[in-house]
Amino acid sequence: MPMIEELVGRMRNGELLPSEHLEEKISVLEERDHELNAFITKTLELAREQAKRVDRLVRDGKGGKFYGLVWGIKDNFALKGVPMTCASKMLENYVPPYTATAVERIIDNNGVILGKLNMDEFACGSSGETSYFGPTRNAHDPERVAGGSSSGAGAAVAAGMVDLALASDTGGSIRNPASFNGVVGLKPSYGMVSRYGLADLAMSLDVPGPIAPDAYGVALAMDVLQGYDPRDRTTVRRRLEFVATIDAFNPDGIKIGFSDVLLAGADGPVRRAVIHTLKFFEKKGAEVVDVDLPDVRKVLPVYYLVVYPEFASAMQKYDGILYGHRAGGSTLQELVSRSRGEGFGKEVKRRIILGTYVSLAENAGKWYTLALKARKALQEMFNRAFQQVDVILSPTVPNLPFPIGERIDDPVKMYMSDVLTVPANLLGVPAVTFPGGWEGRLPIGVQLMGPRYSDPLLVSAVRFFEKEGRPWCA
Amino acid sequence: MVRIGFEIHVQLGTESKLFCPCSTRFLDAEPNTNVCPVCTAQPGSKPDGINEDAVEKALKVALALGCDVVEKPLRFLRKHYFYPDLPNNYQRTSEPLAVNGELAGVRIREIHIEEDPGRYELREGLVDYNRSGVPLIEIVTEPDLRSVEDARDFLRHLRAVLDYLDVLLYPQIGFRVDANISIEGGERVEVKNINSIQSVVKALKYEIVRHKRVLSTGGRVARETRHWDEARGITVSLREKESVDDYRYIVDPDIPPYRIDAESVERIRSALPELPHQKKERFVREYGIDGSAAWTFALDKELATFFEKLVAKHGVKNALSFCLNLRGELNYRNIYFADVQGKDRFYKLADLYFTGRITKPVYIEYLRKTLDDPDFVPGAQEQLSDEAIREIALEVLKANPKAVEDYRAGEKKALNFLVGQMVSKTKGRADPKKAIRILQEVLRAS
Ligand SMILES: [Zn+2]
Repeated sequence: MPMIEELVGRMRNGELLPSEHLEEKISVLEERDHELNAFITKTLELAREQAKRVDRLVRDGKGGKFYGLVWGIKDNFALKGVPMTCASKMLENYVPPYTATAVERIIDNNGVILGKLNMDEFACGSSGETSYFGPTRNAHDPERVAGGSSSGAGAAVAAGMVDLALASDTGGSIRNPASFNGVVGLKPSYGMVSRYGLADLAMSLDVPGPIAPDAYGVALAMDVLQGYDPRDRTTVRRRLEFVATIDAFNPDGIKIGFSDVLLAGADGPVRRAVIHTLKFFEKKGAEVVDVDLPDVRKVLPVYYLVVYPEFASAMQKYDGILYGHRAGGSTLQELVSRSRGEGFGKEVKRRIILGTYVSLAENAGKWYTLALKARKALQEMFNRAFQQVDVILSPTVPNLPFPIGERIDDPVKMYMSDVLTVPANLLGVPAVTFPGGWEGRLPIGVQLMGPRYSDPLLVSAVRFFEKEGRPWCA
Repeated sequence: MVRIGFEIHVQLGTESKLFCPCSTRFLDAEPNTNVCPVCTAQPGSKPDGINEDAVEKALKVALALGCDVVEKPLRFLRKHYFYPDLPNNYQRTSEPLAVNGELAGVRIREIHIEEDPGRYELREGLVDYNRSGVPLIEIVTEPDLRSVEDARDFLRHLRAVLDYLDVLLYPQIGFRVDANISIEGGERVEVKNINSIQSVVKALKYEIVRHKRVLSTGGRVARETRHWDEARGITVSLREKESVDDYRYIVDPDIPPYRIDAESVERIRSALPELPHQKKERFVREYGIDGSAAWTFALDKELATFFEKLVAKHGVKNALSFCLNLRGELNYRNIYFADVQGKDRFYKLADLYFTGRITKPVYIEYLRKTLDDPDFVPGAQEQLSDEAIREIALEVLKANPKAVEDYRAGEKKALNFLVGQMVSKTKGRADPKKAIRILQEVLRAS
């Protein structure tokens, strides 16, 4: 069911007014969100104003790319005048004086912003449970986690509270919740989407990207979100065509890389769904190639050693002085350490402390520089694989959405959720997740990862599966 | 033996800050008005690309100091420490952009670019972020200076080079200096944040006395960082062990390495202006003035320019004497000629004097007045007519009958007294020789 394409069509030809559509979304929001807790801040007034304006614009033939599609924004992006909490007590009352580039582009293309979405605190987490505002619940089973860190984005799109969501991915934060909520999420190539206005987690890995109900939604979003931004000098001057090439996928001649190591530690249904989609593409004419990959579980230590020092550096600015949670204190040092002590949650503190430790001068040679070397070696290994294949297919997350509370006190087990998503971040390459199967009502995400700038190919492959294939069912 | 070295922080006179479009003119604006999400470190903000004008100005300095420009792309590091004037709680600082320079026999170890923090008023607990992100270069010397005098001369020379290159944001501020000093038998001590060359001199003298006293009483001069307390004229210990600092440097992932191409380096090198030592040599060669006068002019860019214009108008000899007087007065006031308003008035003053329309005492008086009072415009004094001078002479004779009597009795000293009276009464309004001639005529006639 090509939802977004059809919706845009109806709004473009005046069949559905943006403000009518918005009211539908608001009614879903009011019905579902008290249970799912996907929103931190709802911007109903702002959305209604925007929708009214878009009503007129669409009538005048200036619908932009979005014609009034309703967006939710992960709460680590700045939207001027609207709280940006990063799901942390530290920023509970912070209101940014400016707007993120990605958000600006959405508004300029007549996206209507319904609110700011729940997430793990400062994007630290893979389950949505570290939010200061409480966990988001899975849209398909509220007893289970929504995934993370873009928990609200995954759940809000899956529940139909918004059409599209803007999220961010540092180690799987788009793909994990998209997978757990049975929707499509793209982690674009690093540098394709501006990070200006996205609160940092790990600057060399962070990338904004969309979560949508289908491949078309992702493609439409990417046509707007991508592009060079002078305010983020890590963005590249390169445009990729998404919607224009969405139906161009031809499985003939496509080589899909696969390796048994990618199924290590995966739940049974996850394995079966992955094999199912692999077989589907093979039957349609693609060639499955066994590729030599490192044990993905070894990627995790490298990932965390790269991420933690960058994270500790990024978090250094939160001191309660210029903005953010401010505790009392008779000396500066007391004020800063108390503000940070009270303002940050456990997982954030864990990562700051580890990152600080790792980047101490006396440890630099031991950990950080080694991790940077390992990252290079990993890049070379995957680059070799990408010389043989067009994409690598794997589970997105090795396990099914788990019950809330099951893993929150076991960080090592929690981190295992990330093994298959972090390589794309370490490499800077794109990866997409789409629902490749269902275990009862629980969705199973399948991931396609490609070389740098193969983003449109990945999205078109998902589109092909949506049209020609059928998710695996238990 | 004394060893002195410096880290000199120079605010660069670019239009905008190092990583954002905000104006650098932090002194000319209300607090916290030249700010944006970048220079106040709002969550999610990122640095814009590095300000190319800052790199250009840094290269100018590096090349003028004979440094080798580093070939590999310039990376920025994050230097982490908590302080309220530093909104990110890390400072962005580049790796060395140039190395191995030399100025007046002092080796320049390296030059790098960094961002200035804001200004923190400790007492009121207020921070002004207007200065946050202003581009700085840090010039690091080897500890090659052997005396306070040499150190002072070096800093004056460097200051002149920066003036010639026209790279300073606020010439009236100049630069900030961290001085390191050690004397034989003691460890190296760093004195941070000294704001003027005079204060560097005071701080170094203070430290030398302190080190000597500690050593002579059998004590140990520990390696430490001290702060210069301008008001009290002393240095105070900041922290015991410098080695405790760990800035946890990481490469800033937001700033792609900046490649300095060889072409730009050559373009900048070939466009370097005449530098102070070159100017000095030229003055000696072209005008035949002695080296020390030439150097004293060369150290003050605007004074040197003024000197040359004066030479064109009034010749070398006059220009030299005028500028030496001017230099003396500037030194006395501890200012550069650039700090003085209304330069035209000095040309006017020179014209008046060298065309004989004012006398030397008046010229000296006017020179001081022109320096101290920006509204004062020197003009020719009204000259007395011969008739008026004669009347004054008659008054002088009338008021001093005793001296007149003595003169007639042949006492030559009496004439001197009368001449003195005459000069003081006509001062500035009559040529003294003429006044004396008329006095003598009146004496003879009466
Ligand atoms: Zn700024």
